[in-house]
Amino acid sequence: MIASAHASAGGAAASSGLPQFEPSVFGSQIFWTVVSFFLLMALLKKYVLPAIVNILDSRASRIAEDLQKAESARKEGERLLVNYQGQMVAARQMAAQTLEEARQDAIRHREAALEELNKELAKKKNAALVEIEQAKNKAMEEVRGAAVELSMLVAEKLIVKAINAEDANRMVQEAVKQLGEGGQASLH
Amino acid sequence: MDFSLIAAAHAETAQQVAGAAPKMDPLHHFQVVNYIKIAPFGFDISISNSVVWMWIVVGVVYGLFRLAMRHPTLVPGRLQSVAEAGYLFVETMINEIIGHEGKKFFPIIFTLFFFVLFCNWTGLIPGSFTVTSQLIVTGTLALCIFAFSIFLGAYHHGWKFLGFFVPHGLPPALLPLMVPIEIISFLARPISLSVRLFANMTAGHTVLGVLFFFTATMAWFGAWLPFGFTVVFTGMEIFIGFIQAYIFTILTCVYINDSLHMH
Repeated sequence: MIASAHASAGGAAASSGLPQFEPSVFGSQIFWTVVSFFLLMALLKKYVLPAIVNILDSRASRIAEDLQKAESARKEGERLLVNYQGQMVAARQMAAQTLEEARQDAIRHREAALEELNKELAKKKNAALVEIEQAKNKAMEEVRGAAVELSMLVAEKLIVKAINAEDANRMVQEAVKQLGEGGQASLH
Repeated sequence: MDFSLIAAAHAETAQQVAGAAPKMDPLHHFQVVNYIKIAPFGFDISISNSVVWMWIVVGVVYGLFRLAMRHPTLVPGRLQSVAEAGYLFVETMINEIIGHEGKKFFPIIFTLFFFVLFCNWTGLIPGSFTVTSQLIVTGTLALCIFAFSIFLGAYHHGWKFLGFFVPHGLPPALLPLMVPIEIISFLARPISLSVRLFANMTAGHTVLGVLFFFTATMAWFGAWLPFGFTVVFTGMEIFIGFIQAYIFTILTCVYINDSLHMH
């Protein structure tokens, strides 16, 4: 453009009106316009348009295929999810069952242990009671023996001192009474 | 003192100054220059700058599309995406205006759009020639389209195609008025189609020529203003080149649709 402006600035080109209306160049331009247009159309139609149509179609079918694949994958996923959820429920039930069984087992064990302990304690208590009884009897026996010995000793002393009948009677009474009380007291 | 002599001398000086000053000729760009004269049997098929640029456009359009679709892949590269976008652009246009029957006209309309588009755009290259600024070129295209649409109408509807000039739902009294109007508007189609494109290209490039002339001849402190405008106008012209190619193509679709469906 700058070049053409300069060229025109140079001089000549004093034609009046638009150069487009110069009829001497019409014929060749009509001919070449038609030839160029149809040449371009033939080239595009033969070498370009089929390639574009081809790639667009294959892309469309590829997209459709991919969508279908995605859909089936989604369905498969849903199926797997349902499956998995079922498994989860089953596992949870089994776990609960196992827990319950273990609890029952523990209760049973505890009761058995408690029972055994009670039996043992009862046995021990009985043994102790028997032992106490025996000890008590033995002690009573010893106390009685001691009382007899003491009364014989007292009687001997009284006889040796030769006290009067009244005193002797009172003393024996007292001694016997004391023995009786002492024996009672020692038992408790 | 001979005043008339002095006046003559002044006039001469003024003429010299005017002659030395650069002359503005923004239409120089549209001058068709024959490079090789060929005229077999008196039929002129000379090679001119206009013809050479038609060939260049054919080569560029075909080359770009071939390059874009050299190794077409499902996941397109940049150029392939552009080629596909061009294809889909034309396809959408045809589908919207003509419908399904328009499929068989796809190659014509596709070629037309890209031929006109690249004629408009290559004209913006400095030193190039704008093929579509030649009324005879746009006129040839428009007349071919016009003839094609008439042929289509006659082919599909026979003599009934003449009913195209009789608008529906009009009172019969108005027909003598309306039918000539319809015929004139129909005949005006190739003229408006070709003149619109030619005038847009000519006007835009003339403005650019004037601005470049000012840029080249003004002093440096003033030249930046027209130069800035050339930048803006070149952007404008790229846009106008697209819009005009679009209008040219879409009107072609409308004419073909009219011939097929008679509104």
